[in-house]
Amino acid sequence: MKVDKVTLEILANHMRAAAESMAYTLYRTAHSTFVKETEDFTIQILDAAGRTAAVPMDLGATWYPGLDYGRAIPMISSYEPGDIALTNDPYSGYLATHTPDLVLWKPIFHEGELLCFTAGHIHNTDMGGAVPASLSRALTEIHQEGIRFKPTKLYRAGVLNQELLDVMMTNVRKPDLNVGDLKAFVGAMNTGERKVRELIVKFGADTLRQGMSDLLDYAEHQAREILRSIPDGEYFFSDYADEDGPDGYPARLAVTLRINGDSAILDFTGSDPQLTSSLNVPTGGNPHHTLMLVGVYYILYSLNPNLVLNFGLTRPFHCILPEGTVVNPQFPAAVGMRSLTCGRIRSLLFGAFGQAMPERMPAAPAGSSSIVNVMTHDDRTGEAVIAAVNPVVGGSGGMPTGDGTNGSGADAAYLKNTPVEITEAEVPIRFRRYGLASGTGGAGRWRGGLATHMEFQVFTPNTRITARNRDRCRFQAWGVLGGKAGRGSTMSLNPGRPDMRVLNNIDTFTAGPGDIVSIVSPGGGGRGDPLDREPERVLRDVICNYVAIADAEAEYGVVLTGLGDDRGIDLAVDLPATEALRAQRRRNEPHPHFHFGAAREAYERVWTRSAYDAMTALLASLPVHWRFFVKRKLMEGLQREGSGAADVQAVWQALLAELPYIRPERAAAE
Amino acid sequence: MGMRVGVDIGGTFIDFCLWDETKEELHSLKVLTTPQTPGAELLRGLDLLQERHGVRPSDITSFVHGTTVGINTVIQRKGASLALLTTENFEDVVELARLRMPEAYSLFSRRGAPLVPRDRIFGIRERMLSDGTVEQAVDEASVVTAVEKALAKGVDGIVISLLNAYRNPAHEAQVAAIAARVAPQLFVFRSSEVWPIIREYERTTTALINGYVHPKVSDYLEKLIEGLESRGVTAEPLITKSNGGIMRAELGKRACVSMVLSGTASGVMGAAWVAREAGHPNVITLDIGGTSADVALIIDGRPQFGLGEKIGDLPLYIPSVAVSSIGDGGGSIAWVDGFGVLKVGPESAGSAPGPACYGRGGTLPTITDAFAVCGFLGQHDLAYGAFRPDVALARAAIGTLASRINLGLEQTAEAIIRIAISGMFVEVNKLVARYGVDTRDFALLPFGGAGPMLGCFLARELGMQRVLIPSRPGVVSALGGLVANVKNDFIRTLFIMASDGDANRLRDAAKALQAAGTAWLRDDQEFTGEAAYVWFADMRYRGQSFEIEVPLADGLIETGDMAAIAEAFHRAHEGIYDFCDRDSAVQIMNLRLVVSGASLKPYLRPLARAVSEAPVAEQTLKVFFDGDWHDVPFYRRAALEAHHRFSGPCVIVQDDTTACVPPGFGATVDGSGNIVLERAE
Repeated sequence: MKVDKVTLEILANHMRAAAESMAYTLYRTAHSTFVKETEDFTIQILDAAGRTAAVPMDLGATWYPGLDYGRAIPMISSYEPGDIALTNDPYSGYLATHTPDLVLWKPIFHEGELLCFTAGHIHNTDMGGAVPASLSRALTEIHQEGIRFKPTKLYRAGVLNQELLDVMMTNVRKPDLNVGDLKAFVGAMNTGERKVRELIVKFGADTLRQGMSDLLDYAEHQAREILRSIPDGEYFFSDYADEDGPDGYPARLAVTLRINGDSAILDFTGSDPQLTSSLNVPTGGNPHHTLMLVGVYYILYSLNPNLVLNFGLTRPFHCILPEGTVVNPQFPAAVGMRSLTCGRIRSLLFGAFGQAMPERMPAAPAGSSSIVNVMTHDDRTGEAVIAAVNPVVGGSGGMPTGDGTNGSGADAAYLKNTPVEITEAEVPIRFRRYGLASGTGGAGRWRGGLATHMEFQVFTPNTRITARNRDRCRFQAWGVLGGKAGRGSTMSLNPGRPDMRVLNNIDTFTAGPGDIVSIVSPGGGGRGDPLDREPERVLRDVICNYVAIADAEAEYGVVLTGLGDDRGIDLAVDLPATEALRAQRRRNEPHPHFHFGAAREAYERVWTRSAYDAMTALLASLPVHWRFFVKRKLMEGLQREGSGAADVQAVWQALLAELPYIRPERAAAE
Repeated sequence: MGMRVGVDIGGTFIDFCLWDETKEELHSLKVLTTPQTPGAELLRGLDLLQERHGVRPSDITSFVHGTTVGINTVIQRKGASLALLTTENFEDVVELARLRMPEAYSLFSRRGAPLVPRDRIFGIRERMLSDGTVEQAVDEASVVTAVEKALAKGVDGIVISLLNAYRNPAHEAQVAAIAARVAPQLFVFRSSEVWPIIREYERTTTALINGYVHPKVSDYLEKLIEGLESRGVTAEPLITKSNGGIMRAELGKRACVSMVLSGTASGVMGAAWVAREAGHPNVITLDIGGTSADVALIIDGRPQFGLGEKIGDLPLYIPSVAVSSIGDGGGSIAWVDGFGVLKVGPESAGSAPGPACYGRGGTLPTITDAFAVCGFLGQHDLAYGAFRPDVALARAAIGTLASRINLGLEQTAEAIIRIAISGMFVEVNKLVARYGVDTRDFALLPFGGAGPMLGCFLARELGMQRVLIPSRPGVVSALGGLVANVKNDFIRTLFIMASDGDANRLRDAAKALQAAGTAWLRDDQEFTGEAAYVWFADMRYRGQSFEIEVPLADGLIETGDMAAIAEAFHRAHEGIYDFCDRDSAVQIMNLRLVVSGASLKPYLRPLARAVSEAPVAEQTLKVFFDGDWHDVPFYRRAALEAHHRFSGPCVIVQDDTTACVPPGFGATVDGSGNIVLERAE
């Protein structure tokens, strides 16, 4: 029998309180900056089947409220009280999603019966492997990404498996940090167990067991209620990562969203083949995999801020994830930088759902947050210094009734920066600029949020700089309903100097004494026709330098007077001239839903949808280990605008003639 | 010997607390606020004090006031038009803030609007480095241009916040001098004078809040001083501060930011005093009014202090009494969602229109209405006889929900109370986890108009054994002013290692702070009593991103015993985070000084001991709980005497609040008139 709804709400609060307690315990006692500063960790309470029933809201990352431990848990044959299990292997149960993420779960028994689990993950600073921090876009197989543990017991009946720990510590670069965090993590699991025992006393084990099941139903109901409010239909969308690896070609993510009543199918067929870089997203083809649904959580929560966050949210959604693609790679594909691809998957879902309910969704957020690290020497002490500088984050997209937020927001809202003064006191670099980049938000009835512009100078030779997640330099955050795409991102060394070097998506480079690193994030997309934006608002944007003076007329059709006054107080709107200009510019035809910006428009003139679809279909017919290779050959070969499926076939035939080693007939037989 | 008066202004009422030193008696009074004529209620209160308690203005020897004028100015965004001068290319320091948005899961989340719009932020060409050396001198022309532009925009004042000014304030001083020359009519605040901490956003935003509220606060205090003078009050008014201390009202005109959280802080100070007097060192205070519910932790008799306390949607980075919001008070609205689940909040009926049963036009069911339906409210007047809740209106409002969740009217009301309590449980639980304490070691001290109504239910949910209801729950904040000390904070950012080589820098900083503290206490505050100097260092392991505050024992700085200072940090770290690392280098980020001068504390004559242990119930009430109606005794607080014993379930009513005691609690009245409730095991 179901738990009554009053008790259910009270139980929901108590479950969340238990999860918050675990999160605060971990946060309070962890050692590494990944946990303390970046909050790259999550906490869950799972039902007996391993499905997330409750998560904290205050602390931690936003990706895993729908996490399902169901495939990983049975990889250990039996459990007893006092056990704590772990894994960080992306290919064992598809629970951990890259090697630095260490996942723990602890079974809780009541009167000899398994009742639930306390669980969570932390991002370790390093898990060994080819590069410090274990992450690089250039890595091509999982073995380069550090030591992996398939589901194993860290504690067996309360006794620590010291040998396991020793193996881990022998293989990682910062063992002290890992151990410190792991201790804190185990403490959080135990706090969770204590809280669960209090719940048993308060509610009774039967109510708790049934209540967890009902809470999943509750979340499912909320998700279905939202789906019912969205028109049925089929909505296709695609978005691109700029590069599929170092110096690469674009990687397309594609989805066909089919909404039918209170359920939805997300068919990712047409997404790129799995990549010979670490941008793959390991899902094991799980139709409810949480990484594929992060964008969905954002959409559901934005539409209903009273949403209960748990696995139930994923039930109405079914993902189709073809094997051997970037969204379901085969072992041993590298997956370390799946975060870059996940950013595109989120914007992919925002775009698909945006077509289904244009009036309720914002334009694309900036969509790429560069995580910048510097390795340099401090000439005052002679010591080597490694420091995180700042995430360089862009604004959110124009909203249904407001401008996008500047400098951060939407799916990057959880990131924090480090004060310039702290960094300058600790690291021998000097900031030259940290602020908003004018004119970078997509024009619209509601403007896209502005990009961030950060510049810093370094002073010693061989200063190594990494900027992870670089993307959106080429393909911009799209605008909707007449709104324009936000400005793309740039990264360069010594801008404006003769020795300037454009870096853009290059994510690892070396700088020398006096060099200035300049990063501008992408800007958010605009929403609605810029010609409909109130002239007063445009004037205000110009006065505040969110919008360049020239853009007022060029983008918004607003004619300003008083331009000669550099104090900006004489600036005013010439209303008659503005109305005349806008009348002249207005077209009596509906806007296309999206505005992608010049780069994507140019790219899609060559790689039309039919051409790209033909390519992904062709690649899907090849053995997995051929796909990425052939994709690059096809990309090289197809350069003509207006191409279609036939042109792709032509290039393919030419390639077959050139490389007879490719045996498509064998692939088909596989 | 004379009369000491504490006054606190809230959203609905202005509270008076009178300490009659001669008679050793404490009296209280509430007056409805008059938003149209702020200040008028104060004079009305003085009249009432005279009428009811025979207090002549000339009898008043001390007048301590807590005011919300600062916080309201920020929340309503009705402050000064400011210009902000920053280092060039760092103008967006306030808009970028620390990036993180309030709601991580929402695509529509946004931060509160900055106090100064971007067109009034001007970059100054200059650059101070993190070691205090000058990379680029102040370009005077860029300052003149900025100030002229600010003048053209019609600003009221200027706030200056330049990079690394915490380390060397020279550039800010230079810019201020130029600004004073170009625009002598504008007020100017420098970040390095308001609160010179490292971290540019935190320092800038603190200076901005100071400038933003300055004209309103200054004007208000001026009127207060004049008003009291005109009534013949000779005592100079003091005001309560965010740090739980007090200062001369005159000083508040410029040190505005230090009194922004004046009201909430003095509530905690008052509660801490009550708890200490009653012999309960570890207390969670629960302050619930019509529109807010706040908790604070008192450990070993001391409130906790924090940085980053919230003022509406803005953080404040001066040391303030740490208070956490756990909800929106008795006015929180109950509703039913699409799954048929009953919810409480976050929408609130506030003080206008208020709960349905207040009969002021509210129709939506609130927590207060649920208490009325269950029979806890409605048989007696509230708020010093200001009005009587209308149970019929409450039943009508709750009735709209009952039909939707298929429960009886009273069952629905009880469900609302239980759900509201479970929501507060989540928030208190987080606070407790953050501090790593165990609620079972604590007593709950509810105050405010609705605290004692909900307190026992929350204590039960939290597994707390003891609830302490102060004798005047409605005026604890006003009482806080009476018991507070003169107090001010001073800071110097050092960013040095806790090693012998840096001992001299620590000593020099201490000398400078000591001089500043003494000057404030003796010259500015004109305090003549005994002074206390308490030292703290904000320390961390190198590489950590936040500091912890470590008290420094007397003499450690003087002798330069850096090893002992580092050891104090290791211990403090272990206490909070469960580990320490004696091999890691320790940094001293800030040296802080708290200067205080003790005020006289009220002495309360113990109440006469009751003749019989059992108090007489005035009547029997029908009250609904645990799914049924029960007859419970109804006590008047005024009729309760020391050492009276009784037990829940019962209802205790007094002029300023109603206490609801569920079954399972035994009650004793202590010698000061506090009701001590203990849960039976």
